[in-house]
Order: sequence, then C-alpha cells, then structure tokens
Amino acid sequence: MTGHLKSWPFVLALSIISAPIVLMYSYLFIDTITNSPPGSFIPHEFTLEHWRFLWETRPGKPSIWRVTLNSFLFASSSCLVVLVVSSTAGYVLSRLNVPGRAFFLAGVMVLHAFPAVTLIVAIFLVLQMVGLYNSLIGVILVKAAIDMPLGIWIMKGFYDTVPWEIEMAGIADGASRFTVWRKLVLPQVKPGLFALGLFAFLLGWSEFILPQVLAPGGDVQVLSVYLAGLIADDNNFDMAMFKSVGLFYIAPVLILFLFFQKYLMNIYGGGTKG
Amino acid sequence: MSASRDIVEAAAVPAGAAAASAHPPRWRAGWLNSSRGLGLILLMPALVLVVLFFLMPVVLTGVFAFTNMSTATGISGGTYQVTPGALRELADRHGMDELAEKLGQPSFVVDEQGLKALEEMGIEPAIIADLREGHLGETHASRREFERMLRDLPERPDTRTVKRISGEFSRSLANSRFSSRESLLAAAEGVDPELTEEEKTALVQATYTGWVWTADNFRRMASSRDTVRILLNTIFFVATTLIIFNTAFAMLLAITTHYIPERPAGIFRIIWFLPRISPAVIYVLLWKWFAWDTGFLSAFLDNFGIRPRNWMLDTAANAWFFVIVINGFVGASMGMVIFSSAIKAIPESLFHAASVDGAYRWQQVRHIILPQLKWPILFVTCYQTLSLLTSIEQTLLATDGGPGGATEIWSLAIYHTALNNYAGNLQYGYGAAMALVLVVIGIVLSLIYLRVFNYRALVAKPRIEL
Amino acid sequence: MRILLDHFSKSFGSVRVIDDMTLEIKDGEMLALLGPSGCGKSTTLFAICGIHKVTSGRILFGDRDVTNVSSQERNVGVVFQSYALYPHMTVRENIAFPLRIRSLPEAEIKRLVNEMAGLVHIGSLLDRRPAELSGGQQQRVALARALVRRPNVLLLDEPLANLDAKLRLEMRSEIRRIQLETGITAILVTHDQVEAMSMCDRIAIMNNGQIIQIATPQEMYRNPRTAFVAGFLGNPPIAFIDAVARDGMLAVENADIRLPIPREADRVPEGTPVVVGIRPENLGTEGDAAIRGRVSFIETQGRENLYDITLANGKVLRSIQRVRDDVSLHDEVEWRVRSDQLFLFAQNGERL
Repeated sequence: MTGHLKSWPFVLALSIISAPIVLMYSYLFIDTITNSPPGSFIPHEFTLEHWRFLWETRPGKPSIWRVTLNSFLFASSSCLVVLVVSSTAGYVLSRLNVPGRAFFLAGVMVLHAFPAVTLIVAIFLVLQMVGLYNSLIGVILVKAAIDMPLGIWIMKGFYDTVPWEIEMAGIADGASRFTVWRKLVLPQVKPGLFALGLFAFLLGWSEFILPQVLAPGGDVQVLSVYLAGLIADDNNFDMAMFKSVGLFYIAPVLILFLFFQKYLMNIYGGGTKG
Repeated sequence: MSASRDIVEAAAVPAGAAAASAHPPRWRAGWLNSSRGLGLILLMPALVLVVLFFLMPVVLTGVFAFTNMSTATGISGGTYQVTPGALRELADRHGMDELAEKLGQPSFVVDEQGLKALEEMGIEPAIIADLREGHLGETHASRREFERMLRDLPERPDTRTVKRISGEFSRSLANSRFSSRESLLAAAEGVDPELTEEEKTALVQATYTGWVWTADNFRRMASSRDTVRILLNTIFFVATTLIIFNTAFAMLLAITTHYIPERPAGIFRIIWFLPRISPAVIYVLLWKWFAWDTGFLSAFLDNFGIRPRNWMLDTAANAWFFVIVINGFVGASMGMVIFSSAIKAIPESLFHAASVDGAYRWQQVRHIILPQLKWPILFVTCYQTLSLLTSIEQTLLATDGGPGGATEIWSLAIYHTALNNYAGNLQYGYGAAMALVLVVIGIVLSLIYLRVFNYRALVAKPRIEL
Repeated sequence: MRILLDHFSKSFGSVRVIDDMTLEIKDGEMLALLGPSGCGKSTTLFAICGIHKVTSGRILFGDRDVTNVSSQERNVGVVFQSYALYPHMTVRENIAFPLRIRSLPEAEIKRLVNEMAGLVHIGSLLDRRPAELSGGQQQRVALARALVRRPNVLLLDEPLANLDAKLRLEMRSEIRRIQLETGITAILVTHDQVEAMSMCDRIAIMNNGQIIQIATPQEMYRNPRTAFVAGFLGNPPIAFIDAVARDGMLAVENADIRLPIPREADRVPEGTPVVVGIRPENLGTEGDAAIRGRVSFIETQGRENLYDITLANGKVLRSIQRVRDDVSLHDEVEWRVRSDQLFLFAQNGERL
C-alpha cells in the first residue's frame, strides 16, 4: 500500500527495541543446555546437568512430575469449568429472554474488571473457613470464577455471530430451545470453544498468585509456585537450573501459542472479537 | 400444555400427507423450551460462581474491612485472657489503673467457695470453722499477709497445711483464660465485687483475644504516612506505564508493523506477544537474569568499567525503571493488537490518496492513522488503568516492593499486609480495608466504561419471543 | 389448510407494527404478502410461524386457534432469505432434522428424505454440506427441509432475494411447481412485485402495518384501490400527474391538457384537485384524449422502447411502445390515451 516508501528503517528500529526480549528468550534456551565461562555469555560446553531436576527430587521439595501433574490438573479443570459456564451463560446473554439479562451482562463487564487481587483476601479467609485452603479444588474454582467473566464475554461474541435464522428454522422444525442450542447453535461456535479452551488452559497454566496464596502446600503445588519457591530460596542460586525448570514450564505455552497464534492474539488483545 | 397437545394431535394431516405429523414431537419438560426457563437453568452455573466468588468475597471484603482480624486474633472467635498487655491497656486507655492493679495482683479472699474446697480436701473442720466465723469476706493483698493470718489462727496449722489452704483462696486473675464473657466477669467480681458497668465493658474489651468490629482500619489508612506514599507510588506507576507503554509504545509497534511487509511484521508481533503469554514467574526470571549482579547487563557494562550490581534493586530509580518496563512490555501487546486492527480497518484508498497528495509518512500517521485510533486509545486506557491498578504478579516477583518499599504499589501492599510479610503478622482486616478501596475504584471505573462504550447496543433484544 | 389472521395486532414496546389485520389464506392457495421494507410483512410471517407473540387478535389454522401454541407445535415450514441451513450437517441430515426431532423411525426418515429430495431435484447432493452448494441448490434444500414434515403451511420469507437474476427466474417457477404439486398452503413474503404477481394466486399488498388491498394479480393491476397499489405494481411504473376537475373534464395545470373523466369514477365535484395515474403501456397511438409533450429520454429495451414525455408544466409521463422510427429525442409529440384506462385518485391516494 505504501510500496514506494522503504520499510527497512522500521525493521531496524523494531529490531533494536525488540532486542532485549529476543536476547532474554534466546538465552532461556541456550543456558539450559550449555555452560559458559564466568563473566561470559558465549557457551563453551554442552551439558544436560541443568535438567537434573527431571530425575532428581530435591530434599524438601515435591517431585517435578507431581508438580507438573498438579499444574495440568489445575489448568485443565479450571479450563473445563470456564468452558461449561461460559458456553451456557454466554448463550443466555446473547440469545435468551431472561429477566435481568441486561443487568447480568453489565455485571459481567464489571466483574471482568475485578482481577484476583481485589478479592483474594476475602477468598483466602473464606477458603480457610470452609476448609478448602490448600486444596486444588478450591483454587480451581476460584481461578475458573475469575476467568469466567472474560469467557462469558468471548462466548457471547461468538454466539452473536450465529444467524438468528438458524435458530428460527430450528424452532419451526420443531426443536425445543434446548435442542436448538445443543444441536444447532453449539456446533457453530466450536471455534470459539476451542479458542476459549486454549486461552483458559494457558491462563490456568500460567497462574501464580492464586495458587501461591490459596494452595502453597507441597502436595498441591503447581509449577509456577514451585519455580518461584526455587528462585526465592537463597541457598540454592543456580540460574541455569531455574531456566531449565522455566523452559520445561513454558514449553507447552510456546508450542500452543506458535500453533494457534491467530486464535490467541484476538483473545489476548481485548477478547471482545470473535 | 394439554391444550397445545390437542392441537398437535389434531393438526390435521392433509389428505395424503405422510406419517410425519402422526408422530408429534416428544415435548420435554417446559423449562427446556421457554426462553426464561432454559435461560435460568443455563445461567445457573455462572450465577453460582458469581455469588460464591464475587458477590460473597466483595461483601466479605466489606465486612472484614471493619474488623481487626489478624493472625493474632484468628479468624474465628477468641477467648478472654488477662495478659499483662491487657492490664496495661486497661490502665492506659481506660484510666482504670486501680482496677488493673487489683486484677494483676495476686489477692487472697476468704469466701465460701474456698471454704468448700477445704472441706473436700479434708482440712481440719476446726480451722474451717474458725475461718468462716472470724475471717469470712476478708481480702488480703499478698500471700505472705494471708499466710500470716492463717498461722495466727487458734489451731496453728503447720506450714504445709497453710500452703495448701492459701492455694485455695488465691483469687488472682493474672494470666488466666476464660472462654466466655460471663466467666471472666464472675471471676473479676470475685476480686472486686464492686465492679461498675463501665469497668466491666473495659475489662471485656481489653482482655478479648478474638477479632472485634472496628473502624480503626480506615482511620489508620487515612492518617498513615505509608498510605500517602503507596498511593503516590501507585499513581506514578499506573500513569507512567499507561502513557509510555500501553498507549504510546503500543501505538509505535502498531504503526511500524503496519509499514513493513507482512512476514517480518508477523515475527515482531510474536516477539512482542512473548511477555504476555509467558507465565509471570518465568518472564520475571528472565529479567532478573538480565538485570542481576551476575546477569547480562552487569557483565556487559563491566566491559565499560561499570561495577556489576543488581540493577533491579540497587536504587529506587532503577527499581522503578524495571518495574515499569516489565509491566509495560506485558501491556504493550494488547494495545498493539487493538491498534493494529484499527489501522487495518482504514480503507486503503485513504493511504493511496494521501501518497498521491505527496503527504509524507508522518503526515499520513498524523492525519489518517491517529484520528482513527481515538476510540481504541480510549478503550485501552480505560481497560489498562484497571489492569495496572490491580496487577501484582510481575512487581511482586521482580522487586517485591523494594528497595525499602520504594516500589510498593497498592495491590502489592494489600498482599503484604494481609497475605504475606516477613513479620508474619498478617492483618486481614486492614488488608481487606485496603482491598475495599480497590473494589470501589473498580466498580466506579467499570461503570464509566459501560457509559463510554455504548452498552445498550450490546444487549439488543432477542428476536425469538418464546 | 386454511389460515386466518383475525384482528391481529403486533407491537414492539410502544411501537405498533401491525394494526388490526384480518387476513384469510385459503386452503391450497399461495398468497403473497407484498410491500416495501418495514411495512410489517415479515412480522406477520413471524407471527404465523410463532416466533413472535401476538399482541392481540387470533391466529387460526383450520378451525384451531393456535394463538398461544408454541412455534414447535404449529408444524409450519419456513424458508428464510438466507436459507438458514444447518452448516454442520449434510443435506441429508438437514432435511431429516425435523423428522428426527419427531422421533420417526430411521427407515421412514430415509424414505421421506429421498422422496422429498426427488421432488426438489437434489437427489445427487444428499451427502454434501450446505457450503458446497450453489445458492439455487441451497434454496432447494431449504424447501425440502420445510416440506418434509408436511407442514400445515409453508412460509417463504424473501426466498429469491439472495439469488442472481437467472436463478431467480428458474426458482420462481420451481417453487410454484412444488407448491402446486404438494397442494400446500403457502405464504410468500416479498417486496418484489414481479415475484408476487408471477408466483401467487392472490396478493395482499401491505403498507405501514395494514393491508391495503387483497386481490388476484390481474385484478389488482387492473383495478388498484389506491395510488400506493397502483404505484407498487407495474414495471416500468405508473406515472402520476396532478389535475383539477373543471367543466366535466380533468385539466392539467399549465400544460394545456384536458382529459375526460373515466366512466367508472364517481362524480367529481367541480374544482376538486385529483391525481391522474397513467400506465406507460396505455399512452401511445390509440385513445380518446390527447397528451402533448416533448420526448426527453428514450430507453431502448430491444423489442420495445420506453419514452419519457415531459409536459409543458415539467411533469414527466412514460410511454412504452414498439420501437418507432418516427420519434426521436426532443421531438414534440401528441400521443393518445384511452380515458377508461386512466386511474383517478383523490389527494389522499384513495381511488375515486
């Protein structure tokens, strides 16, 4: 569109401002499989010793596999809850004539503006009172609840794009509203469910503050808490090992992102577009 | 329902029509078919989560904000404990020095309760009788005085008996614990039978170890110098990050990627998405590697003779720099995506027209792109203000509010007050009060969004009236 | 099945869209609801199929009052403008869907689907998905899906609007053929007068939520009740000129034209301002009244030409005639019109 204008100055400028990120993420890979002489950043040997944590469990720390399993359970369960809640509530808000619909929709927008930290003190105390402190179930429900408003919003956006005529045709064909939703509308928003599912899984996988506060115990520790614990432990400063655990932790995120970036960029960037 | 069933069955089959209408659809329960019924059922899971994890916590935040809950008081009820601290409070705050002294001192009271105990212990009845007749009601300020009186009794009990007896008449409250208000007051009246109502209230208040209702949190917040500092930190943090990164820098990224070919633009978009998609723990770890004293920056600057140091935490200015950059890089990608799609939506013909007019690129940006970004900028500003106000993970992991509280922002202060600090004294009540401030700001800001972003259009009436 | 709308009204909020409409569709008849967009014709259709609730009045299918019967139980077949095929199902599954909902035995479903596919000529497409079909084919599938459960009435909502001109011609006759073969009562909602006239037994013409006239296409064309009806039917459209009744004639102001009053018109009092409608095909070489003007535009249509005649007062009439070599642009002409083919309307549009 602006063909006669050269683009290389822009590429150059972008490259310079992007350099720190590129540098940091490159060394996230390099440092996990190499050693460099002190004070230098040019590796001189290949090694796998930083990956010891995969087969050696540190005293006083839970096994990495246990932690990974917890992370997976945490992320997939909260993702599942978000999907169920958003796909049902999103449909109601998009299509059904329920009393208080506008109010609920406004409520969802307001809730969307309520990240964990504002409520976490009360939630912490409530979970302690009902005995769900230090349990995966408690923190899964909390995480799902906090991601839910965005999920509902995204699913509403997808439902809004399904033509009304499809539903009208279904009703005229004799299907109940429930059947129309289940058999005719839900299949149309599969891309939305997929994108939201992916997104909610990644949110759960990356979550730190909730499990840190609500489920810090060794049995229920997730990767983020485990890694933060390693880093905070002054007695064992080993940057290469931190990075190896970090790479192990971030790998699924990077892979999913590279494969499905189109879906994810839309959602991460505002989330209102279907 | 039954009336309509008739109709289906009677919905007369035109001559020669197939069996289709002979099998009327099986109607399921009514709620599956009415918009309202199905709506409420489908909304139920969301409602449950909203009530449990939004409404209840918001209300409870409000409730807890008016208590002095902390690790010391616990979160359930407490007991009444006459600690030295409680007595000091009684004396200092209520001016009841005399009462405090009385309660604190061991005192020995000859009463029926003690006499009964003696009877059960099998003390000589004569001694008991003497005490009852000659000394009932007497109070002695110290053990020695009381024991002297005992030795002077006609029966002359031996030292061992005297000790046994005196133990039964010790009526000191110091360091004793009571499970209820009543038992505390009963015991106190044992020491001083003429307690006034005022004294009783003061005593109960001073000795209670559980949490109590109080508006002190807000008084403290309003008067504390820390509050002002944290507030200023927060405003500085939000404003700077928002202006430099979430809007200006995001716009720079959007515009520059717009002017370069699609392939490199895509690569840069992915690069700038890395901070956002990376779990905060790793993302901040990478910054630590970059900025710590053994990290990249120190090693690099060492070549120029600059002493290695922990750049992230050595001075307040540097700490702020990193806090803002770390948070800003995360937020920039959101603006980038939104601005990019807004720029993409500009008809290409406008660009062509502009280049034919000989407009320079900067003018293109100024007269074509920027006007188009007005609404997206407003949206991003509104959205990110709240995100930044409540963001905590990156700052917590990077500087943890340091050095010396220089980068302590409001959300982090909540965390430190109520959930995690070095002292180990977690002040849930005060933390809740601080969170309540954010809750109120959150509600106000989101109501403003609803006004700004034509919310009515989003709730168009359903087109099926069933 | 006979369909009756009995004093039917519909409001959205405080806006009354349909006001006290009474309309009967006879058994086996195909009726067009014709009108400009926003006239309430689609609202009427949605009320018949039960997607909209009725504000007041009754809807009867045969002798049964279905006013409060849910859409699912009315057994109405609907074809939408967008066809509304279920994109995730094959053609076969689409057509079978209404039958599956009714829990018919599989064998029966298969038989009915094949029978219906034969009727609408899509037997070879059954295993494709809607996205793989042309517009005309999708239309046929939508018809099959609407008809397969033998509905009480078939509703067609602008069914041809999304088709290109050639397909539209083809589907016009196809829909009519299928309707006649099945003998189903059908209602066609359209804003296109050609569709309405070519496909339907009767036309109900609507404006502002009211039915202006119900008649067969011929009757409506020959005898429009109002200027609106006269203006809506006919292509090229009728032209209107203002005139005043004077000395038992109609005088067109500033144009030196005097037209006789048509015999079937009521007596028009002296001095009444009226509107005269003249159809293009009626202005030509024959007639008992003369109209003078200047040829201001000639549109070649092949077999015929369309001439615009500008009168002395600046008003424009249209005439469609076989191609004439004796007339060229800017010629002053005097053409004739038969007084019994003039339409006379009062200022408010009512036929006099």
